[in-house]
Amino acid sequence: MHIPDGIVPVSVAAGGYALAAGMTAISLRQIERKHVDPREGIPKASLLTAVFFMASLVHIPLPPTSVHLVLSGLMGVVLGWYAFPAILVGLFFQAVMFQHGGLTMLGVNACLMGIPALLSYGVFRLRNMLGETRPLPNAVLGFVAGFMAVAIGAFSAAVLLVSTVPAYLDASVERAAVTGLFVAHLPLAGIEGVFTATVVLFLLRVQPSLLKESL
Amino acid sequence: MLVKAAIATPSGNSLSEWETRLKLLGLLCLVFAFATINDLRLLPLMIITALAVYRLSALPASYLISRLKVPGIFLLAMAVVLPLSAGETVLAQAGPVALRLEGTLGLLSIAARFFSIITVATVLLASTPMPTLVRAMGSLGMPDLLGDMLLFTYRYIFQLADDLHRARVAARLRRARLGSLSSIRTTAYIVGSLLVRSHWQAERVLAAMTLRGYGNSRIDVSRPAPGLRDFAALAVCVTLAGGFVVTQTFFL
Repeated sequence: MHIPDGIVPVSVAAGGYALAAGMTAISLRQIERKHVDPREGIPKASLLTAVFFMASLVHIPLPPTSVHLVLSGLMGVVLGWYAFPAILVGLFFQAVMFQHGGLTMLGVNACLMGIPALLSYGVFRLRNMLGETRPLPNAVLGFVAGFMAVAIGAFSAAVLLVSTVPAYLDASVERAAVTGLFVAHLPLAGIEGVFTATVVLFLLRVQPSLLKESL
Repeated sequence: MLVKAAIATPSGNSLSEWETRLKLLGLLCLVFAFATINDLRLLPLMIITALAVYRLSALPASYLISRLKVPGIFLLAMAVVLPLSAGETVLAQAGPVALRLEGTLGLLSIAARFFSIITVATVLLASTPMPTLVRAMGSLGMPDLLGDMLLFTYRYIFQLADDLHRARVAARLRRARLGSLSSIRTTAYIVGSLLVRSHWQAERVLAAMTLRGYGNSRIDVSRPAPGLRDFAALAVCVTLAGGFVVTQTFFL
């Protein structure tokens, strides 16, 4: 889901930066609305960003290969509105340290992962209606949050890649490529869903305040 | 340790001594100009420019090669798909498989941009310590909250890398099967534990930082003003970047 440098046209990269700037501004405004001093949440958001960054390096076997976790859904669940800036920060370090993505594609990649993370945050908030302390709704919403963040991100990345990279692909090849890329990510989305649900259940038992909008 | 900081160019090197804000602006101008290039006649010049910048940095070639490996896998996938599926002009055919001109040229263009952008970006990141780079981004208008998050996250990544490594070793010693699909639960518990521990650590960190004045007015760290050489280097980069864009737009 990390699109590297040089693959898509510069107009797409610039559009990605513009959209990411807008999303960051919206996130920062929401954070400022919720906190008297938005800086109070920074150490916590940064530490949790570092945890997510490290956890995304863990590989889960998916025969015949292995996949690394994306965790954008879990970031939405735990970080709320901090998720978008946190993903931006995490992607910056992934680009700098591991060449996942790239500097020109930072905006695009942040949108591909950050917007689904915020959607996952919105979906997970439904627990307020379904029962904050009941394990089943939390597990189901955790699964949906983890699954949808990867599925939406993968679908958007596939559409973006196929529609902007090769200028000479015909429509049927384009459709097949988008479908192929999306379907290839579905097992990862499933793993992320299970992983997110498991972490949510763990936090519900051990530290339920981390699942509230306290950050 | 699972993660390592990016290596830095030798001190005394002209690129590592270039004032960081101007270096950031200059090299990013080049990077984005490279991203606009799709005319095949400009590709060799773009690659030569990128290699010249890399040469100035005095970084070893092996470092660049190591940086190209991971994103190169993505390019490799495109190398298989594009020449065989994009375009109508057939260059060569073997049974149902046809090598197509448009797809091959498209791949060449993508590969050249990919190489040049990563080469210059590598120079930028390897010739500047991370805290200095983040402060320069802040002085160029990045929101304070993002700057603080970048610095804090950078600080904690290395500590958490060790914590995660220790937790995984402990899990393995307790005979947890981390190499199988059933390891999802174990890994989820490890990540959950790290989240909980980090949550409490963050509370203590915030308290300590508040005692030291965090959140009050920002201390403006004085930095040396850019000199004539810094501006000259910026001018060279901007001229080169502008030259690429103008040539492609108006002359080709």
